[in-house]
Amino acid sequence: MKPFAYRRADDVAAAVALLSQDRHAVFLGGGTNLVDHLRLGVATPDTLVDVSRLPLDRIEELPGGGLRVGATVRNSDLAADPLVRQRYPVLSQALLSGASGQLRNAATTAGNLLQRTRCVYFQDVTTACNKRDPGSGCSALGGYQRYHAILGASPECTATHPSDMAVAMAALDAVVQVVGPDGERAVPIGDFHRLPGDRPHHDTVLGHGDLVTAVDLPPLPETVRSRYRKVRDRASYAFALVSVAAALDVRDGVVADVRIALGGVAHKPWRASLAEQELRGAPATEDSFRRAAEAELAAAQPVDGNAFKVPLARNTLVATLRELTGGTPR
Amino acid sequence: MGITRTPTSLTQSSATRGGIGESTLRPDGTLKVTGEFAYSSDLWHEDMLWGYTLRSTVAHAAIVSIDTSEALATSGVYAVLTYDDLPTEVKHYGLEIRDTPVLAHGKVRHHGEPVALVAADHPETARRAAAKIRVEYDALPVITDEASATAPDAVLVHEGRDDHHIGHVPHPNIVHRQPIVRGDADRAAERADVVVSGEYVFGMQDQAFLGPESGLAVPAEDGGVDLYVATQWLHSDLRQIAPVLGLPERKVRMTLSGVGGAFGGREDLSMQIHGCLLALRTGKPVKIVYNRFESFFGHVHRHPARLWYEHGATRNGKLTHVRCRIVLDGGAYASASPAVVGNAASLSIGPYVVEDVDIEALALYTNNPPCGAMRGFGAVQACFAYEAQMDKVAAELGMDPVEFRQVNAMEQGTVMPTGQTVDSPAPVAELLRRVKSRPLPPERQWETTEGADVRALPGGLSNTTHGEGVVRGVGYAVGIKNVGFSEGFDDYSTARVRMQVINGEPVATVHTAMAEVGQGGVTVHAQIARSELGVTQVTIQPADTQVGSAGSTSASRQTYMTGGAVKNTCEAVREKVLDLGRRRFGSYHPAWATAELLLEGGKVVTDGGEALADIADVLEDDVVDLELEFRHRPTQAFDLRTGQGNGHVQYSFAAHRAVVEVDTELGLVKVVELACAQDVGKALNPLSVVGQIQGGTTQGLGVAVMEEIVVDPKTALVRNPSFTDYLIPTILDTPTIPVDVLELADEHAPYGLRGIGEAPTLSSTPAVLAAIRQATGLELNRTPVRPEHLTGS
Repeated sequence: MKPFAYRRADDVAAAVALLSQDRHAVFLGGGTNLVDHLRLGVATPDTLVDVSRLPLDRIEELPGGGLRVGATVRNSDLAADPLVRQRYPVLSQALLSGASGQLRNAATTAGNLLQRTRCVYFQDVTTACNKRDPGSGCSALGGYQRYHAILGASPECTATHPSDMAVAMAALDAVVQVVGPDGERAVPIGDFHRLPGDRPHHDTVLGHGDLVTAVDLPPLPETVRSRYRKVRDRASYAFALVSVAAALDVRDGVVADVRIALGGVAHKPWRASLAEQELRGAPATEDSFRRAAEAELAAAQPVDGNAFKVPLARNTLVATLRELTGGTPR
Repeated sequence: MGITRTPTSLTQSSATRGGIGESTLRPDGTLKVTGEFAYSSDLWHEDMLWGYTLRSTVAHAAIVSIDTSEALATSGVYAVLTYDDLPTEVKHYGLEIRDTPVLAHGKVRHHGEPVALVAADHPETARRAAAKIRVEYDALPVITDEASATAPDAVLVHEGRDDHHIGHVPHPNIVHRQPIVRGDADRAAERADVVVSGEYVFGMQDQAFLGPESGLAVPAEDGGVDLYVATQWLHSDLRQIAPVLGLPERKVRMTLSGVGGAFGGREDLSMQIHGCLLALRTGKPVKIVYNRFESFFGHVHRHPARLWYEHGATRNGKLTHVRCRIVLDGGAYASASPAVVGNAASLSIGPYVVEDVDIEALALYTNNPPCGAMRGFGAVQACFAYEAQMDKVAAELGMDPVEFRQVNAMEQGTVMPTGQTVDSPAPVAELLRRVKSRPLPPERQWETTEGADVRALPGGLSNTTHGEGVVRGVGYAVGIKNVGFSEGFDDYSTARVRMQVINGEPVATVHTAMAEVGQGGVTVHAQIARSELGVTQVTIQPADTQVGSAGSTSASRQTYMTGGAVKNTCEAVREKVLDLGRRRFGSYHPAWATAELLLEGGKVVTDGGEALADIADVLEDDVVDLELEFRHRPTQAFDLRTGQGNGHVQYSFAAHRAVVEVDTELGLVKVVELACAQDVGKALNPLSVVGQIQGGTTQGLGVAVMEEIVVDPKTALVRNPSFTDYLIPTILDTPTIPVDVLELADEHAPYGLRGIGEAPTLSSTPAVLAAIRQATGLELNRTPVRPEHLTGS
């Protein structure tokens, strides 16, 4: 681990100022991801600015029925919050399917959103990786790609985003509140995470010194049912091979509204807008679900190691929608 | 001096009681579950340095140059060592073939091979200094499989081999090859009504012990070194360490430290020589602890294998012949590969009667990670394949798979493919009957009044299915494993037992070099001493090299071998005590001369139960102290052409029935129950027996559905050296494991016992695979099976 200085910020402005002064400073939240990277040599900052104790640990109701989730709200607390469980079960389920109890107790909302990929090449500093070391190449291309992206990848990077929480937030049209050197702004979650393109070292649109302060969850109509499904290699403590966050509003057998996001398939939580488009106004049937899944996955570009993710994502999406319609088992 | 408690020194203060056959509690149990047990990674010494190992970042390359100057100039660094600094002409080590350089010389042969060592006053300083060592590599072609290894123009992984296998292998990139030919498989095949063939692939499994490799080397005033280390076999380590250091073995004093699991992965050396070299060079104690990432490179793994099988059977269900070919990937260094080959070949057809066989097993040298000992040792890979074949033949014949196995099951008196007669109970058909007759777990156990309990469903806490799309499957398997070291190896163990009176009470002290790696040996030794010597107080001394070798804690052998040594020595001690008694009290009672005498409850008693004297009075101030070796009956090498020979000591049998539920849509498996029946000969500690069987069963489950070290086929680099990426079963993945224990005595073994540690690891995997096949209808010729193999089935 490279030595670093440790600073604690007393308020948001101070935190942003501390980072703005130092190109090689980073924010420290729960540390569940960053500390691993420090140990692996993936992250080599000079300074850690601890923001975990900023007064951003509240979950507040917004006018109109939404919620504002503070950036330092721990994953366990967010999952257990009665309002979250009642209004956004998909988010609670996603959180509880991630990591372990110990990690969820430490991990923060903003930190979870800013998790970096689990790509084995990204984490192995002896291999080339454009995300870790821009311009060095992508070892995953032609390498071990079981966990890699089937959608939205670039020749520079095929990594996937590891978060469960962010997938649910993507389906919920969350809005990320950011304070940066130039002031405050709100970033819709769909614009928050990036596709790799030719700059895979940028996971998000945040600039240096930008601090996530909260995530806003817009209200969902009461008739919407939501659900998170995650497929992984063992019953707990594993990242998603594929996951689906879906919120569905069916009236008179017809899909009135639907939001779907996929996890484990792309560099960012993948909002399945093509599937949504296919479904809106369509009968809520197995056939429609399958067509919608296929519409979304038609653009998939799998390789040998991850081709299974295409049928797996399709089946997971169909199963999730079927369950949300209360449909009969096959 | 902060040398920490070892598991063996704990029994002194424990209040455990009980002789053989009782479920005496382990002295280390409470400490381990409460986190207070001191493992080798907790070792500490005033003024100690920390060692760090620089490892190769490539799998196969010539070393052009190594520049250590910058590392040496780092403040806090005491020493940097490379191959050129090795002190003697002995620069290699190895379990069977000394082919492994202490530090890489000229080239590196696998990812993670040790290249240089650093000692510094802080672990982080050592690590950073190592990062400043500049190694220039010149890439060599990477050999990763049989085709690349045995091509006529293949680069040799080891040039100039002069080991005892080179004369009979068809290519220098083959470590060892063992054919077994018995009867006439070609002619027998003509009698077959059905012939079934298949190709199977077994992935690379890791031992995944939780305590990483670690130890502490302390230089001594006499020029020697004291080494505290977690290992499986102190004396084997010693034989490999001392010559490299240029020290006589008596000057390398080894003591076992707290071992956090082993499963074969500590049979080869890791930090032992490195730590001693640094300690002797710097004159300071040196501690080395691998982190998890490094641990994956610090020990050998289970051989991945490709297996081809052909089985023939008559219409009435009798096997006619088996042909098979087993190719094990031994990786860059030999480790235990030759013995693994011998096991894979000799146990390749399973616990069945087949008179006509044509068998070949071999291990390759490649640039993949070195593979060697792991629980089940060659028999695991074979069992996965032959049990899949048995199901296929049964299906072809339209027979019940259990009945088909029972029709062909071996029994006492059966002749093995090696020509060896099985001369103790072999209740194969009975074990199958027992697992089959057990009631099946109820269907749809996930249903509760409050909805589905996802923990009981495929996907577990991932909250996937609530029961829809879930299909049940049931599968069976049975396996055969040898116990002890085979093929003519002089396998022995030593025990020193002392008996004396302390505070008016007779006390037995047992001293062996047996490595307690979690198997419960120290518990059993105390039980044996209590039973044989009639005492309550037994002190188990720490395992070290001040007593003769106990052999390896592997091959399911320690209760048989070191347990046997303790028993034998106790019996000899008992005779000495009785001799003393006869001298002191013989004239007072005729029974001293005429009766069969025992030691029980602190007294000398007749076989009729009459007490003649207190042991304390017999001993007075005398100390009876004996150190004796114990050997199992000799075995023979397998003939290199025909594979014939009485190669094994004892066989061990287990059968499993797996009940799985598969979410066929998402490809997720829930193993609901994994019932086992095993013959253990005699359960010295019934609770430990069940624990071993459940542990072995779970390790078999792991390689059935998740465990695999991924090696990039192009670069031979390991891709998942962490517990985030190499998955092992959690308790949520672990099913109910009901265990049915048979105790059919083997008259050749101490107490009639049978080694138990490995057999359950064999049949667990194929039983789970069989159940998944039944649920999905898929062929599944590869393990582990993961969602990509099942989704949409």
